[in-house]
Amino acid sequence: MTHTLELGIPGLRLTAGDHVCAFYRGPGERDEILIPYLRAGLVTGDKCICVVDAVEPRQVLSALGSEAEVNGWISDTQLELRASTEAYLRSGRFCTEEMLAFWEDFVGPAVTGKFTFARSVGEMTWALRQAPGVDELIGYESELNRFLPRYPQVILCLYDLERFGGEIIIDIVKTHPRILLGGMVVDNPNYLEPDEFLAIRSRSAPVDIQHVYDHSAG
Amino acid sequence: MSSAARSVDIAGSRLTTDVPVADGAAKVDPLLRDQLSNLRGLLVLSMVMTESTDERQILDLATRAVPSLGRCHVAGVRLVNSGWHATSPPCAGPDLRVAVGAQLHQLGGGGGMLAIQNEQWAWAFPLRGLEGPIGHLVVGAPEEPSGSEQFLLRVLAQQTGVALANAWLHTKERATAQQLAAANTALAQTIRALERSTAIHDQLTRVAVSGEGQEGIARAVHKLTGFPVAVEDRYGNLRAWAGPNRPEPYPKDPQARREQMLRRALREDRPIREAGRLLAIARPREDVLGVLVLVDPGGTAGEQELVALEHGATVLAMELARLRSLADTELRVRRELVDHLLGGGDEEGALALAQMLDYDLERPHQVLVVEGRGRRRDEDAFFHAVRRAARDVGAGVLLMARGRAIVVLSPTGAPFDRLCGAVLAELGGGTCRIGVGGVCERPSEFPRSYREAQFALKMQAIAKGVAQVVQFDALGVYRLLSEVPDTAGVERFVRSWLGALLDYDARRNSELVDTLTEYLKCGGSYDTAAQSLSVHRNTLKYRLQRIREISGHDLSCPETRFNLQLATRAWQTLMGLRS
Repeated sequence: MTHTLELGIPGLRLTAGDHVCAFYRGPGERDEILIPYLRAGLVTGDKCICVVDAVEPRQVLSALGSEAEVNGWISDTQLELRASTEAYLRSGRFCTEEMLAFWEDFVGPAVTGKFTFARSVGEMTWALRQAPGVDELIGYESELNRFLPRYPQVILCLYDLERFGGEIIIDIVKTHPRILLGGMVVDNPNYLEPDEFLAIRSRSAPVDIQHVYDHSAG
Repeated sequence: MSSAARSVDIAGSRLTTDVPVADGAAKVDPLLRDQLSNLRGLLVLSMVMTESTDERQILDLATRAVPSLGRCHVAGVRLVNSGWHATSPPCAGPDLRVAVGAQLHQLGGGGGMLAIQNEQWAWAFPLRGLEGPIGHLVVGAPEEPSGSEQFLLRVLAQQTGVALANAWLHTKERATAQQLAAANTALAQTIRALERSTAIHDQLTRVAVSGEGQEGIARAVHKLTGFPVAVEDRYGNLRAWAGPNRPEPYPKDPQARREQMLRRALREDRPIREAGRLLAIARPREDVLGVLVLVDPGGTAGEQELVALEHGATVLAMELARLRSLADTELRVRRELVDHLLGGGDEEGALALAQMLDYDLERPHQVLVVEGRGRRRDEDAFFHAVRRAARDVGAGVLLMARGRAIVVLSPTGAPFDRLCGAVLAELGGGTCRIGVGGVCERPSEFPRSYREAQFALKMQAIAKGVAQVVQFDALGVYRLLSEVPDTAGVERFVRSWLGALLDYDARRNSELVDTLTEYLKCGGSYDTAAQSLSVHRNTLKYRLQRIREISGHDLSCPETRFNLQLATRAWQTLMGLRS
């Protein structure tokens, strides 16, 4: 039986194994997605792993619930909240393998232990920094599709349209089976499996991530 | 599993590739899946662009997405209404722009191949809005892109055009909505101002209609504005006050400064601010009837207070004009009555006019003739000064101007000795003389009293008197002589005693009669007479010697001196009567 779960936004549901990219404009819209998504998981009893970049972790904590609630979730290890420098860029550079290992370290033990499901979320604005390895972003997103089926989980990738430009949107869409845009979850049956994507990509020009830096508002 | 050449038509783009076929079922080709995936990406990009209302943001999204769709790049974006777009990578150099622009012009609203320096392949993809072509997306590549890539670029251009048209429409609608909102706001403000203005007008009109007068107007304006309000006459005298902190005594500007302020207010034709006060002139035309004052030392009165003040000044002008009209009518009737009485009109008519004025004419009166002037000659101002002074000291309310003099019918016993001082106070200086006629018990006696008052004034001038008030009854021998019915006998008496001297003065233009008159008036004192005549004592002695020689009279004889003095008085009386 397919495991479905509340996204946290009324009327929108996710399915176990979903790799969703959420497009939003600015911090306000981000919080309208991020906070309900996490709170729904926490209330349900899911393991929640959150990596933020453009917002301080403590701000997310204060928005999630009362101090007592949040302290309970943290002490119970139900909630893991990290800054991007402790996750995507924890070694000072981005490395796809390291990041996949990061998810493995948190999700694997959790869902084989006391939690039955994991929901993860990552704020992707870290990829706009001039850090080594950020050009692996699209490949990493594709590789995540291999990681997702291994555990009962969903992953939500947050992309700020005020900072990411047109050059990234199309490739991001290609690597995500589901897209959250304008309050709708859009299925993407034509997303490319990792092998397909990486094979096609190897034949065409990679995304010029430096071009992204030059044009990003951030 | 076998392999076969498959041709798949995807949204107008034909992909041809080797497709693995298993068990008779087609497996979707990776390139086809890539194309489908690109189209899905374009769909999302299109949704993002359509959500945007910013032209620059839409073009930025579109142009930066181009490299994701193939080995190509944006050479420029040219919009029909704004030319080459600054945020996209433009065609380098103005010359190249001109060349490409000319080619785009030839293409019109369609797309097509372009020849661009340093580009192996260049194509103009048309951007179309809802109402036709809006520009071109110019794409360059080192080699011609595949059909599927070109198809994706066409879709991108089409979606960009729709998003731009949508954004422009949104901007236009927003501008229209803003204009509408601004118009609504302006209209609402106008309506509020009109409502407020109507309320002000209604309240002040009620005051005017209810006959509450100047006090009512001041109260209404105070109530409408919250500021203390004063009504002043044109000279700065307080006529009404409403509100706290009424100054005691009420300050009054010097006349020159007051006139300067009035001139400025008339010139500017709107309320003016002066010395912590807002002043509006109550004026039917150029005539200043009064001044409405808003006491505002902090300068905080706003537009609404100004409106209330202006309305108040208009109502005050109406009220003062009404009062003036009443006063003018009353003055006219009074003038008619005075004219009637002085002209010896019938008593019945006089009493009827007096009754109209609710005036008791049947008590004893005396006629006063007032002559004088202020610091500057203004007969109207002199008339009103006498009118106010007579009213204030209780010297009478029936008066009219005759020549340069003002005739006042004054009830007997009135303090007309205070009238001169009051007139001069009203004028702020100048001269004033009053002749007072004898008592008239009946209306028919007014002409006589009037003649007497005139005569008294003339005798004072002829006799070079200094008193400001001259009563006929106190003229002594002059009064006696003036009442002699036959002046021919008096003239003969004068000729018999002064004839030779009068003839000499007439021939030589000398002043021997005047000299004799003053000498006798001074009781024969050389010193007093010389001083009074302003001549040297020896001159006086010389003249007196000439008088003795010409007239043949002995000035030391008491009998002669008496007759000569009587003759000089009679001569003055005759001059007074003749003039």
